[in-house]
Amino acid sequence: MAYITLDGVSKQYGSVWAVDRVDMAIDKHEFVSLLGPSGSGKTTLLRIIAGLETPTQGRVLIDGEDVTHLPPHRRGVAMVFQEFLLFPHRTVYENLAFPLRMLKLQKGEIAERVDWVLGILALRGLEKRYPNQLSGGQQQRVALGRGLVGRPKVLLLDEPLANLDRELRQEMEVEIRRHQTALGIPFIYVTHNQEEALSMSDRIAVVRGGRVEDFASRTDIYDRPKTAFIAQFVGRSNRFEGVAAQASDRLAIRGEGVLIETAARPGIGEGDNVVAYVKNEKVRLKLAEPGAAAGANTIAARIRHVILRGAYAEYVLSWSGGELIASRPRDGAELPGGAEVTAYWDAADVDLFAQAGGDQ
Amino acid sequence: MRGRFAPAIFLGIPSVFLVAMFVLPLLSMLVLSIWRTENYHIIQDFNLNNYRVLATETAYQTFLLRSLLMATAVSVICTVLAWPIAYGIILYGGRYRLLLSLAFAVPFLTGEVLRIIALQGLLGPIGLLNGVLMSLGAAPLRVIMYTNFASAIGLIYLYLPIVVTVIYLSLLNFDQRLIDAAKIFGASPARAFFEVTWPLNLFGTLIGFALCFIPCLSATLAPRFLGGPNGTLFGMAIAQQFAESGTWALGAAMGVVLFAVCVLLVAIVARLLDLRRTGFTGFGRG
Repeated sequence: MAYITLDGVSKQYGSVWAVDRVDMAIDKHEFVSLLGPSGSGKTTLLRIIAGLETPTQGRVLIDGEDVTHLPPHRRGVAMVFQEFLLFPHRTVYENLAFPLRMLKLQKGEIAERVDWVLGILALRGLEKRYPNQLSGGQQQRVALGRGLVGRPKVLLLDEPLANLDRELRQEMEVEIRRHQTALGIPFIYVTHNQEEALSMSDRIAVVRGGRVEDFASRTDIYDRPKTAFIAQFVGRSNRFEGVAAQASDRLAIRGEGVLIETAARPGIGEGDNVVAYVKNEKVRLKLAEPGAAAGANTIAARIRHVILRGAYAEYVLSWSGGELIASRPRDGAELPGGAEVTAYWDAADVDLFAQAGGDQ
Repeated sequence: MRGRFAPAIFLGIPSVFLVAMFVLPLLSMLVLSIWRTENYHIIQDFNLNNYRVLATETAYQTFLLRSLLMATAVSVICTVLAWPIAYGIILYGGRYRLLLSLAFAVPFLTGEVLRIIALQGLLGPIGLLNGVLMSLGAAPLRVIMYTNFASAIGLIYLYLPIVVTVIYLSLLNFDQRLIDAAKIFGASPARAFFEVTWPLNLFGTLIGFALCFIPCLSATLAPRFLGGPNGTLFGMAIAQQFAESGTWALGAAMGVVLFAVCVLLVAIVARLLDLRRTGFTGFGRG
């Protein structure tokens, strides 16, 4: 039995369905991300779970209880907001004590629990400060602490790291995941940042246009995208359009100047317009050998420039069909800018989708 | 260069203005209050006679006490009325918010005298309200004819727009999402109001209160036109010293007393109020 269940949850604003028939089942120890572009409805979905919005249709169950019509303060949930939303007229200590006071705990127990949270979030010594006397990172920790201190049934996080700089963000990613594991409660994490979702989650729900496109493990989401949108949105990919031609059990796609071969997919037949994605890191490079015939899944290209990303490098290539990006670890065998190369990839690394009418 | 002189210009000019238009007249009042007036002439000899009169004549103490009571009652009522009005505009005003808040300024387009006379026409013995009552054969409402109650109605009518506007601005600046945060962490809507909304708007509410309270203390028009025989307020009495009776020095002394009372009240409030507890940081939203 799932710990949190969304059953046909929909939310209508005017004539727009911000959330459209979402079904999800989340387990007690899971870290789940709702990943989607802005305006996809992921925050509305989170606010419905929190009780800050009432769904137009459908039910929300937490720990076996139907909470659809319970106000937020009776749901036993907690939330970390993007803008922190600490109480500006309260000290750090008082902010952390707030959920406990609302639970009507004894003073001694409040002090104990606040001290526990101050400890695990390295906030000792800041108890008497006001929120505006804290750095962004410290405010974030207090916001997280306020979410954890009441031992909620579920912690909801609404883009909590969006206002932090990159280094701090990566630090917090590790920390947030560590607390989730230690507390053993589900975290539902809303983000538009695929790296955050991939680094922390057990499972990722990709949200688009109010619908969940896929809800699967992070490796499935990354390695086996179920829809063209996921292939485009998660990871960095090269995109090819073409027409499918069946060749026994393999499928050949003739695009502009490139022949892509991959295993046949159910639902894609001869003459279909298709779109293929090959992730940047799956594109391999070798120096061009003069006279070699261009086969399937290869492209003759020239290195336009090289972007250093630290541990890996991105090669921006030009070829007759436009631009192609290949990224590879910096293993010492670097290719010079301007070099003529052959880009190639495995048939298994092609993600292929039928092109729906007018769909990207 | 611009950076160096800008503070001097932007802070200096208002400072000069403040000294010229506020401090100097106040000092002149102070000086006048220790002189005396006789037959419409100012006689410049130092004496504390005016203050002795104010301390011994019970009429003045009655006026002051009545003014303090009146100002307190009116300000409390205005604040209690203004809160739901301002909150209503914030919550439900939608895109008409600005229009609705501006609508509160419409009464300011006419003069204070006109507004009070209009009210007299409404509340007086042959006014609209009692006129209707009497034409229906009922007895007129005596409580609204030349009484302190009528004065209070007049003052509420005069100052409610200011209090609404100030509280509206305070609420406009208040991050409503903090209420969401309070609810998520276990506060009922009522609890969230007292934990978050009220303290974070207390400063704005106090400013609104003060902007009603202080002019009420020195109100002259409302008590004169609506107040009746037992309705003399301190401010009205001051006006009489400067007009009918020509006892300017006594009037000045009364002004000084009124100023001192106001300063004292503000000082007490400032002492009791921890600005941090109202979320006020002095540096904008923290």
